Amino acid sequence: MSGASIGRPFFPRVMTTEENRSNVAIFFCQQLDPDQDVNRRALEKELGTRIRFFPLPCSGRIEALHLMRALEAGADKAYLVTCPVGACRYREGNIRAKKRVEFAQKLIQEIGLEPERFELVNASSPGPFSIDAMARELINKAGGLPSSPLNVKKPKEAAHNTP
Amino acid sequence: MITAERKPLPEIKESITPYKKVLIVGCGTCVAECASGGEKEVALLASALRMDAKKEGRDLEVHEITLDRQCVYEFIDQLAELVDRYEVVLSLGCGAGVQAVAEVFPKIHVIPALNTTFIAQTKEAGVWIENCRGCGDCRLDQFADICPITRCAKSLFNGPCGGSKGGYCEVDPETPCAWHLIVTRLEESGRLEKLAPLYPPANWSKKEGKGPRKIVREDQRH
Amino acid sequence: MKPESRLKKVLAAGQFAVTAECGPPKGADPEAVRKKGNLLKGFVDSANVTDNQTGVVRLSSLASCVILREEGLDPVLQMVTRDRNRIALQSDVLGASALGIRNILCLSGDHQSFGNQPEAKGVFDIDSTQFIRLVRQMRDEGTMLGGDKLTLPPELFIGAVENPFADPRSYRARRLEKKAKAGAEFIQTQCIYNVPYFKEWMKQVRDLGVDAKLFILGGVTPLKSVKMAEYMAKNVAGMDIPEEVIDRLKGVPSGEQKKEGLKICIETIQQLREIKGIRGVHIMAIEWEEAVAQIVEGARLLPRPAVQ
Repeated sequence: MSGASIGRPFFPRVMTTEENRSNVAIFFCQQLDPDQDVNRRALEKELGTRIRFFPLPCSGRIEALHLMRALEAGADKAYLVTCPVGACRYREGNIRAKKRVEFAQKLIQEIGLEPERFELVNASSPGPFSIDAMARELINKAGGLPSSPLNVKKPKEAAHNTP
Repeated sequence: MITAERKPLPEIKESITPYKKVLIVGCGTCVAECASGGEKEVALLASALRMDAKKEGRDLEVHEITLDRQCVYEFIDQLAELVDRYEVVLSLGCGAGVQAVAEVFPKIHVIPALNTTFIAQTKEAGVWIENCRGCGDCRLDQFADICPITRCAKSLFNGPCGGSKGGYCEVDPETPCAWHLIVTRLEESGRLEKLAPLYPPANWSKKEGKGPRKIVREDQRH
Repeated sequence: MKPESRLKKVLAAGQFAVTAECGPPKGADPEAVRKKGNLLKGFVDSANVTDNQTGVVRLSSLASCVILREEGLDPVLQMVTRDRNRIALQSDVLGASALGIRNILCLSGDHQSFGNQPEAKGVFDIDSTQFIRLVRQMRDEGTMLGGDKLTLPPELFIGAVENPFADPRSYRARRLEKKAKAGAEFIQTQCIYNVPYFKEWMKQVRDLGVDAKLFILGGVTPLKSVKMAEYMAKNVAGMDIPEEVIDRLKGVPSGEQKKEGLKICIETIQQLREIKGIRGVHIMAIEWEEAVAQIVEGARLLPRPAVQ
């Protein structure tokens, strides 16, 4: 389980479409960025279906099923971004979040998928953060992971789809 | 409640291998409470099975349904309209639930997805402990309300064995020694004399009796 | 000649009794039993035969006892409630008596998960205390559980075990009292290394008057090495090996540790003899039956008394 953390807002270059075709789901604690619904719009527009945001009242509200469903719906990787360690408004939310992500990782390992397809990211240092900046950083990182095997068309499936 | 744990996915996968249309049936009572067979767990298993099939390029149709109680006919009846459309039922009920569903639908293959474990108390969030074996002859009051049959690894009735250390059982050092608990509790409440009489051999016929046990209550019958 | 318990006679005559443990082989090998028996013969009054000790399958205790009897020893049949329900236990008690076994030691047994059959179902139909009471009923009342009359009651000198060092320590003397009440006539204790604590426990036992109700034999096990001592201290629940004992072994070169272990054992026996209420010693030289003769000789417990 990676405890990778990301810093204050900054604006890295998002890889070009040719470089990075990964689909990313980002679950995040709304407490991180009070303006999240505005801040995320530009990126949603830019990347279209390649990115999906799921704001949560607290990262502790994540369920393994949310992550599973994201993967099933076509994400190559799902992130859960939490408040900095020790800074959860509900005290233990982000600690619980870690356990939920670990459980979901075990579930996908059982079907032969890499546990890295789910990753918990603790924001570092006090906020406020911009979810847009964080997401850009994460989607760049996700580019390093091969496409989910669920998104690769099997020959059989391809043949089936050919009229 | 009755606790259960989900079987490892490879075992479930192997058991449903011949089938392409699977009805996953959860139970909203005990196994939901212990997070092994409720609606959420049904959804998780369904999701995993679907992804697994997709990854391997297999066709698999999965339908999810969770009954309020899988061990009661009235609730099982909800499956009547569904089962014919599927080749197999994958049950996330306890063993009683699996068998009840199978009994209602004699022609359908019902496969357990859980290993049913024990009668439990929720010790804390995410921790369940076995503390009743359903012996049919409860004498908890004589043992400071700590069941020696269940909670002593050797089911001793007349005091601790020689393998109790620091209040824990030598068989599993994470399990408190039931007899240590019993003695301490009685000592602290000045009731140690409760243990003085010899406790006679248990009447296991109330547990083992004539095979499976049955309760018939005329006042409850239709 | 009608078989009788030598152990009972020695104890009844007020002699300091010596028993030793004999572990059967992991095979159908009567010679191994004979060999071990002959290492003990003449040095002990009676020899205990363990019953699938630590849950490891071995030649049956009952069969081994019969072999030891043929060799002229007075065997103590150990029987655990882990592997047999009350039907099998009562049947084997009758069988043992019919074969001339005259001593029985009633135990619950080590949990099956420790042995080489960890997937076995543990029986534990009755516990060791209930088993003591049951044998006593069979012998003295001539009935089995449920009241059926026995055509001939078994003749057995009935023993049990106690571990003064296990927790909860405050209850251990009471537990012994309970076994006495159940009908135990002799007791063999867990290995004693912490003699000062054992003395305290014996005082509690005497205060309850239990030493007058049964014969207590103190258990000893010679330590072979520092490694063995440390292993036992750390891993065997209810085993109290004080630092001083381990330090004493550490104080001698490794080649001398066995000798030192024997010396400690002999000294322990000498200390035990001084304790009021201790009527004998039980030597458990685990897979080291050769040591028994040296210990008994070293503790000046030879020759063993002749009995009628």
